[in-house]
Amino acid sequence: MAVGSFFTSFDLSAFINALILGISIASIWLIAALGLTIIYGAAGVINMAHGEFIMLGAYSSYMLQSFLGFPFVLCVPASFLIVALVGLVLERGLIRYLYKRPLDTLLATFGVSLVLMQGVRLIFGSDPKYLAVPPIFSSNIQFSFVNISVFRVVVLLVTLGIVTGLWALFYRTRFGVQVRAVMQDKEMAASFGVNADRVYMLTFALGAGLAGVAGSLFGVLNIVLPTMGASYVVQAFLVVVVGGGTLAGSVAAGGATGELQSIFAYFTNDTFARFLLFVLIVVFLRIRPQGLFAPSAKRR
Amino acid sequence: MNLYHRPGAQWLAYLVFYVVLAAVPFVVSDNFLLNQLSTYGVFAMLALSISLCWGFGGILNLGQGIPFGLGAYGMAMTMQMQSQDASNPMPPFMLNNSLDRLPLFWVPFWNTGVGITLALVVPTLFCAIFGWLMFRARVSGPFFAIMTLAMLSAWGTLILDIQPYTNGVNGITPPAPLKLGEIVVDPYSPAAYWTVLALLVLATVVAKLMTLSRFGLVVQSVRNDAERVRFLGYNVAGYETAIYTISGFFAAVAGCCWVMLTQYVSPAQFDTTFSLSMVIWAGIGGRMSLMGAILGAFLIQGAQSYLGDAFLNTWLLILGGFFILVVRFLPKGLIGLVESALGRLSSSTGGKTDGNGVSSIRSRLLQQPGE
Amino acid sequence: MRTDRRNFMKATLGAAAAAAAPYGFVKSINQAWGAQSWIKKGEPIKVGLLFSLTGGLAVPEEDSTLVMQYAIDEINKSGGIAGQPIEPVIVDAKSDFNVYSEKTKELILRNRVVAIFGCYTSASRKAILPTVMAQNHLLYYPTCYEGAECTQNTICTGPLANQHSKDLIPFMVQQFGKKVFFVGSNYVWPKESNKNAKVWLQQAGGELLGEEYIPLGSSEFGPVLNKIREAKPNFIFSTVVGASDIAFHKQFKQEGFKVDSMPIASLTTGEIETRAMGNEYGAGHFLSAPYFQGLDNPTNHKFVESFLKSKYGKNGVTHYNMEETYLSAYVFKYGLEKAIAKVGVEEVTPRAIRDNTGGIKVEDAVSPEGLIWIDDQNFNTWLKPKIGQCQADGSFKIVKSSAEHVAPDPYSIYPDLGKCTADGLKAADGKVRKGVI
Repeated sequence: MAVGSFFTSFDLSAFINALILGISIASIWLIAALGLTIIYGAAGVINMAHGEFIMLGAYSSYMLQSFLGFPFVLCVPASFLIVALVGLVLERGLIRYLYKRPLDTLLATFGVSLVLMQGVRLIFGSDPKYLAVPPIFSSNIQFSFVNISVFRVVVLLVTLGIVTGLWALFYRTRFGVQVRAVMQDKEMAASFGVNADRVYMLTFALGAGLAGVAGSLFGVLNIVLPTMGASYVVQAFLVVVVGGGTLAGSVAAGGATGELQSIFAYFTNDTFARFLLFVLIVVFLRIRPQGLFAPSAKRR
Repeated sequence: MNLYHRPGAQWLAYLVFYVVLAAVPFVVSDNFLLNQLSTYGVFAMLALSISLCWGFGGILNLGQGIPFGLGAYGMAMTMQMQSQDASNPMPPFMLNNSLDRLPLFWVPFWNTGVGITLALVVPTLFCAIFGWLMFRARVSGPFFAIMTLAMLSAWGTLILDIQPYTNGVNGITPPAPLKLGEIVVDPYSPAAYWTVLALLVLATVVAKLMTLSRFGLVVQSVRNDAERVRFLGYNVAGYETAIYTISGFFAAVAGCCWVMLTQYVSPAQFDTTFSLSMVIWAGIGGRMSLMGAILGAFLIQGAQSYLGDAFLNTWLLILGGFFILVVRFLPKGLIGLVESALGRLSSSTGGKTDGNGVSSIRSRLLQQPGE
Repeated sequence: MRTDRRNFMKATLGAAAAAAAPYGFVKSINQAWGAQSWIKKGEPIKVGLLFSLTGGLAVPEEDSTLVMQYAIDEINKSGGIAGQPIEPVIVDAKSDFNVYSEKTKELILRNRVVAIFGCYTSASRKAILPTVMAQNHLLYYPTCYEGAECTQNTICTGPLANQHSKDLIPFMVQQFGKKVFFVGSNYVWPKESNKNAKVWLQQAGGELLGEEYIPLGSSEFGPVLNKIREAKPNFIFSTVVGASDIAFHKQFKQEGFKVDSMPIASLTTGEIETRAMGNEYGAGHFLSAPYFQGLDNPTNHKFVESFLKSKYGKNGVTHYNMEETYLSAYVFKYGLEKAIAKVGVEEVTPRAIRDNTGGIKVEDAVSPEGLIWIDDQNFNTWLKPKIGQCQADGSFKIVKSSAEHVAPDPYSIYPDLGKCTADGLKAADGKVRKGVI
């Protein structure tokens, strides 16, 4: 559709609904980006297989649900564990040899993404699967003119929960101190007895596990397919880049981009909104290349 | 000295390679093979451009589909307009999309010369502007890679969305082959094959001379340590933009050739998988070597065409696994094997070595590329 | 380092020699194939199956390959074509348009197939048409598409945009009310389908409240559903495709929309999609298609039963796209038989098959969807669109079947551009343009 012919007339209640939806979109993008953020933030690895970790999360839930009869609520934490394990194996087997070559980790993880996607396709076939959820999750809440689906609220709450948990982990535990120390200066931290290798390993597994959680939630909103990760991963990357690779940065960036997407989509259409957002991000990075909240450490 | 590093030997290798390729039409009378080899030639040009940017400039570019796609669109528009005339000035798809006049930005493509020039200038200009914006802001490394990826999606989305002007996802399908003056470039003819090959040779020679020049040395130093080069008073952003732009220009040439061969372009040229496979060609072949990247494109695409059907579902698995192995153990790509083999040869034949020649292959392969 | 001047000179000379080689030289090589016949007496008849067996498009296209093999087996068992068996050459297009184009050339130039059955998306069709047309070859395109194309090299067995929603829109307006909202994926086919739907909507006295397009592959329907909620239509007309379609149906329910008061009338959501989203999300919605697995006629019962039992029926479903593919095999058979009778086996060309396909009928006894025939001008199919409603078990109940066959017309909403005839697009002033794509 041509640009310019599709502007919706302004309507306050609809606009407020768009704003609320923006929060939901933001929470979806943020939960997709959280795993990526901590892996990049702690280890400086751009994980191109992140989308496939999300996909693995969805397939783990599908597997547990249809073969072992797990209820959906249990599938979510279980897929955290499964994908975290996959992440752990990957880190030990491949990534740890490449920390000094950040561009090569990007490429190697791209190879991993090809293998994971095709492997899942071989095992489960390329026809789409679905996750069954309790009926309460497929209803909505209405309050005066405000409408939002229960499941979107669930995603939002899970996201908030994880962000709080991560914050507590990084700022209230010994492990968190170690992670932040390694982030700032690996050699210096090592000289104080921090086992950087172990920190990298655990953060990688944690990041992968978080992608798994995101995946099992997306399997409900969307569809379970070997290629499903690709539709989230670009947004997730942008959230990390705009945020600067820190937790706070990603929260702010996820919020801002999600809201903007919803508002642009309200005034124009979804496709054009996406294009506008990309252009805005390029312009933003020209002004603030280090992102919203850059880590105090040296840039990698 | 390792034979591999001697420019003389390198030129000779190029010469042999291209003479063999140029002779193919005299030996083989299979139209399909010729057309296929021409497409590989286009892909080789892309791999070459990646090698320039990534191997020599240290700039990992996951969005090479942008200049390629823009060049391809320019060429497709030119060829489409060759099929229109004054009584019937609009491509059929525009009529279906209820346009009543030829859009302004299509008008220059009436003229084949202007059209092809635009097909090359626009993508190059885009690379120059985007590169300058990013490199001035000192966006580099993985961040730059991600930004090229985002830009790629943005272009793909835009071209999809402005359907009346670009025919959206269906793309542009010029109904007739390219006409250059009186000559019709039949995509199956040796003429088309030689055209692509000649452009590839030209690109190789220019790229090789560039890497040997002073400019090339500065670019390689920027790759090795941008800060140090900056302190020496060089304009790092300028050099980075230049190598990124030149590489984009090569990709645009490849885009033009590609449409000449296939008479088709669509937003699929902006797919991330396509841009990433260019990186795979260069990575597996050997990004630090122009020849390596070119061979990588021929090798991977050839394998996909001839083994892909035999392996079917496992093909991507094999490709992915192979790529991981190369990145992990052979950062210099397959050509790195040749390098170390020649290194052993020259050291064992008694030539004076730099001390590395006697060490085992393994330790040489594990050397970090300068990043 | 130092440039070795002598070798550099050699390299440039080589380059110059390659560049200066005379154009059009060895032209005769190009014609080497010209004299050979496409089908040799006593040898199998080769046809190409150009579908994606891997990648994102494999979901619909793998089924097409399977059903095509089934149809070929069936034809071969009953004696083949003029006594010669059909031999499928199966290639994998890998969901990649570059590969579609490459494989087409391979099938025509190297394998010398006499016809190609293939493609699902319009984009892949457009990618291969320049090759098919340049070689004057023949493509059987077995699915629905937007029309607005007049080549002399394609035969389509699916519904055109002008046939697809002709009954659906008036039916929905009558059942649920005048107000409708259009949602589609952002590409050519949904937009063309919607243009046609608007014509039927106007005739039925309906009212269009809004029209939204979602990026292909997108799974975020929040903004669109908000707009629909504001507009309060009586029903939604959907041309959303693929994975997005499934996300759309799921979020429709999750956002509290009720299928009874605002059903989705779709051109795409069939048995396979419903199975993928879960029956509870599909139940109650409507689909228009020429074929449903649940069609109640003896030919279809036999087709469904014997296909699902065969080694090709592993996916457990027969949907409209597969049935259209099945029909194309018989359209090919009848056309080729007619061509052989006219010109003789060794003289048959792809073009001769096409020229003998106009008016070909596939009778009730063979066609699971009932009698169809090929238009002798534009080579699309006369068929009866049917409307089905999805049931709680995921099957479709036929609620309406067209009384008469609907004529295919690729230019129905562009009368100014002309009529598609056997020789090309014929404008009002009598000018005929060949190969309009």
